[in-house]
Amino acid sequence: MLYSVCCQCQKDNLKKHSKSKQFSNTFLYVSDKMFAASTQCKHWMFSSEEELNKLRDLANAKHIQVYGKNIDPATKYDFFLTPEEEKIMVKRYELHLRDFCKRFQPAMPRCVVGTAFHYFKRFYINNSVMNYHPKEIMVTCIYLACKVEEFNVSIQQFVANIKGDREKATDIILNNELLLMEQLNFHLSIHNPFRPVEGLLIDIKTRCSLHDPERLRPGTEHFLERALLTDAVLLYSPSQVALAAILHAASKLQENLDSYVTDTLFGEDGRGKLEDLIDAVRGIRSMVKLADAVPDRNQQKILDKKLDKCRNPENNPDSEIYKKKMLAMLNEDDDLYGVISEQNYSMDNSALNMSIPTSPQVA
Amino acid sequence: MDDFTCPRCRTSKFQNPSLKMMVNVCGHGLCESCVDLLFLKGSGSCPECKIPLRRNNFRVQLFEDAAVEKEVDIRKRVLRDFNKKEEDFATLKEYNDYLEEVESIIYNLSNNIDVVNTNKRIEQYKRDNKEQIMKNKGKLGREEYELEELLELEKQLEEQRKKEIQMEEIETKKKKIQDKEALIDELMFSNADAKNIIETFAQQAQQAKEESVDKLPSRATKFSTGIQIGQRSNTTFLPVPTDEGPLYTYKPIILSVDGPKPPTTDEILSKGFINHVRPETEQGRAGGFRSIIACSRALQDSMSGLFHSKKSSTVH
Repeated sequence: MLYSVCCQCQKDNLKKHSKSKQFSNTFLYVSDKMFAASTQCKHWMFSSEEELNKLRDLANAKHIQVYGKNIDPATKYDFFLTPEEEKIMVKRYELHLRDFCKRFQPAMPRCVVGTAFHYFKRFYINNSVMNYHPKEIMVTCIYLACKVEEFNVSIQQFVANIKGDREKATDIILNNELLLMEQLNFHLSIHNPFRPVEGLLIDIKTRCSLHDPERLRPGTEHFLERALLTDAVLLYSPSQVALAAILHAASKLQENLDSYVTDTLFGEDGRGKLEDLIDAVRGIRSMVKLADAVPDRNQQKILDKKLDKCRNPENNPDSEIYKKKMLAMLNEDDDLYGVISEQNYSMDNSALNMSIPTSPQVA
Repeated sequence: MDDFTCPRCRTSKFQNPSLKMMVNVCGHGLCESCVDLLFLKGSGSCPECKIPLRRNNFRVQLFEDAAVEKEVDIRKRVLRDFNKKEEDFATLKEYNDYLEEVESIIYNLSNNIDVVNTNKRIEQYKRDNKEQIMKNKGKLGREEYELEELLELEKQLEEQRKKEIQMEEIETKKKKIQDKEALIDELMFSNADAKNIIETFAQQAQQAKEESVDKLPSRATKFSTGIQIGQRSNTTFLPVPTDEGPLYTYKPIILSVDGPKPPTTDEILSKGFINHVRPETEQGRAGGFRSIIACSRALQDSMSGLFHSKKSSTVH
């Protein structure tokens, strides 16, 4: 990306020299990085909350089907978590994620937090909480987000922020990293609403007569933080979330930006699209309003106990099965190495044989 | 130098074939082991003339007569300062006078005639011609450097040639074995007359030999010194890059925005969007960054996807 920008820049400079001062009519920014062409838009935008819930229910049902063969279907939810309970767990760990990122040392840029939220949400669309514990996936998401967003922390620095057994945490994070990426389909680049907010503020400052647009900033940031706790980022584009945040902040300050949105921002080319946008903004704002519900402490404890019982022992680093599995994998690696080295050895030999010509056709 | 003996320990080249004679500024020789012995502390006096000497001034003696060695040493030292060239003089006579003077100085020093006055003369000359000496030293350095480069190049070519010869030998050996085996195979499996087969193989071998003889002289001319210099001048330039394929044509990038059209770079400048971003620092500009990049990226991100509609996204 940086490279391409530089190239573009040089090209522009060249032009500047050759044709006095004339900028091209093109854009300085490269198209495949735009949201509309991203994997986020293609694979991780969903049509409705119902669709998301359906997928989550499916993940829950699949898990129970695989691991609950011996349990009577009528009483399965006595042992396993219901989809509803799973959602509560995920929500709770989203709060944990937010707090962890806030406390993180060195201080984390916002985009890392946003990206981590995206990963976490995406992971639990197709996976059950019972299969992979959200506590472990949460830290892995943050660690991966740090890497992707170029916030450079080493694993040692990272686990220094974790209370408890840091060595174990290191193992968990590094073991889960590849799994996480696999579950994300390796769609790692995330479009967060933070840059669109900056763009909209620039646009408002330039094309709108609003007095001191910087006033909008605190309200906008607060809104975005809460929006990350909802499914809004899976349903609406980052620019829509950003616009909703700005409009919300403006309405809190008794300002009205409606004319800016309808006339200036959308203008001629957006006439027919305005309705969709109004729907989107309304949807986002109502979702964010619901994000503030305080979780019930007692219920949480009950759920924690239930999850401890029903979680998949194969993915629990404290269980015997997990340890055995890891050991087997390690041995497998050794075996694999043995096979490869043997192959290489035989290949070497065959190469040696070839150096003595034996074929009668040579002459 | 075979019958040379060390004046101190009387060891001769005959007794000790690895004997190395060393010589210092005074011109008196000593063998290496005596130098090690006498100059253990780094400095000491010459056993013959008692002049104080430093150990690191000892050099391996190249000439049989140690006096020559001394003269060479002095000449080297004197010529370091008396480094004028013929071009530096207006007339030939002046140049000859200069050479005469240099020679007399060297002669005086190497034969210990009027050393104090001679040294004074050198000092005087150095002071008078300080600038010119420095200038000529630079020139000299360059010439030496070029010479060294030439030597290095020659060495490289030599090595290359050696390698090639080696390769060729290996190749011919291989070929011989191959031919032999082919011949045996042919004799074993073919129905033709054995005599005929041997004859054809012999002919082939003969041909191959002639070919290789033809090849050799061409290689020799290739690496002769005459051509080497020509090659050297070639290698100093990089080969002119030749671009093949169609020429680059600039195509403007087509954006799929899915939102209102973001302002172009022209508009960002003319309509004042640029005034609302932090201007780039000088260091940033040096790295190729301009605030217009950040500005345009933010604006495009804010527009892109605004038309996104939930209905348009595919059901997973």
